[in-house]
Amino acid sequence: MNILIPILFLVSFCVHAQNTEKIIARLGNVAFFSYTSVENIKAQNNQVLSIIDLSNGEIAVNILMNAFVFEKALMREHFNESYIESDIYPKATFEGTISDFDSSQSEPHTRIVKGTFTMHGVTKTLDIKTKIEKIDGKYILTGTFEAVVKDYDIKIPPLLAGNIAKTISVDFRFEYDPYDS
Amino acid sequence: MTVKGAFCIGMLVLTGSFGFSQNLLEILDEEQDKVPQFTEATFKTTRITFGHSIETRKKGVLELFVSNRFWNTPEERTQSFLSDRMSTRIALEYGFTDRFSMGFGGTTWDGLFDGYAKYKLVQQGLEGKGSPVSITLFQNATYFSEGIANDAIADDFGNRMSYASQLLIARKFSRKFSLQVTPTFIHRGLEFSEEDPQNHFAVGIGGRYKIGNHMSFVSEYYAVANPIESFNTYSPFAVGVNWEIGDLMMQFQLTNALGMAEPAFIAQTRNNFNFRNPNLNFGFNVAYIMHFKRKLKGLKQEKKP
Repeated sequence: MNILIPILFLVSFCVHAQNTEKIIARLGNVAFFSYTSVENIKAQNNQVLSIIDLSNGEIAVNILMNAFVFEKALMREHFNESYIESDIYPKATFEGTISDFDSSQSEPHTRIVKGTFTMHGVTKTLDIKTKIEKIDGKYILTGTFEAVVKDYDIKIPPLLAGNIAKTISVDFRFEYDPYDS
Repeated sequence: MTVKGAFCIGMLVLTGSFGFSQNLLEILDEEQDKVPQFTEATFKTTRITFGHSIETRKKGVLELFVSNRFWNTPEERTQSFLSDRMSTRIALEYGFTDRFSMGFGGTTWDGLFDGYAKYKLVQQGLEGKGSPVSITLFQNATYFSEGIANDAIADDFGNRMSYASQLLIARKFSRKFSLQVTPTFIHRGLEFSEEDPQNHFAVGIGGRYKIGNHMSFVSEYYAVANPIESFNTYSPFAVGVNWEIGDLMMQFQLTNALGMAEPAFIAQTRNNFNFRNPNLNFGFNVAYIMHFKRKLKGLKQEKKP
């Protein structure tokens, strides 16, 4: 009988850890900026999905590419059809872990989120400095990272090479609610 | 209960609970499936070649649309620069909402002034969900401004007006291939002869095949069920290449259709498509797009932490 007890304990722990500790952001905000001397491009997506498993600090993000709103309506069509090719690669995803994550900490603090970012079919490892806040019991994650256009195999016609920055900076802000599956 | 038995039960419960566990990204995928999604850019330009496509311009977008047709006279030798004849239509087209746009233009060769209203009724859904096709309603009105040669025809406004109504139905089959079918009704104000119908039924078919990220091959054809009887008319046909570069969209085409307003090119194309003069027209359309309503005005980049 004494082998049954640790097994049951393990089982109940597994079941417990899975359901209760996830938080989700359904209206997450991701904006990107491209500044060149010819043209400034900015775009925003406020339907980004993100989920965190508070028990181990794992985080996932799902960005729907055609939900980006651009300053110019036509840019959005070009972005989806000719650059990011959202019919083949409809979304960008991030999967990673918040290092040294401690769910008991309520003061705003900064952590490095390590993980892999996949966009346009290309996967890159990223370390993103992220500010973690807890306001009224809600987790809020904000931060910035940079993406090099060339890394993601995005083709820019030579005629427009001057209009699009080599490095795009990306801002994000996620506000989480408890997730019940 | 033996130890072995208990272990088996324990493993069963364990595997059950692991089966339940999901990858975080999979959870997000499920969440995303709840949001309906629509296709984009079935065509890019508001025309496939000479005829309208289901695309409308988005809210606050003004398009300066200049179309040209160049052709040669049948004479063996002429001394014209580039081409013997040309016709130009200059138009302004504006998107009042993301679904509704209007345009007004004038053509030099046949003296037609035309206006249209276009409303995108249905947008095709993505991945088999939602509507299988996109549908746009189109209404054109055309005013004939030149002198009426036939004295028997009263020179009043009603006689000078022609109308074309179209139901544009298109499907984006893949990222490269889109096809449009266009049932059309045309009313012509001018009666050339009593045997001619003034109301015509026609159907158009047009498609695009992308040959690069910014370039596509396009073709279009219209068949008229009850053509004009008193002189020969032929079905308008075009093959061409559309090229988009930023705010500029260009269309190059070979066609037998001289007119650029719907009642003119669908019902009154007087030459069949071949490579002889003056049947062959070289068409060059250019659309320059200006955005008057800029979204995201307040959006500023965060300072780095």
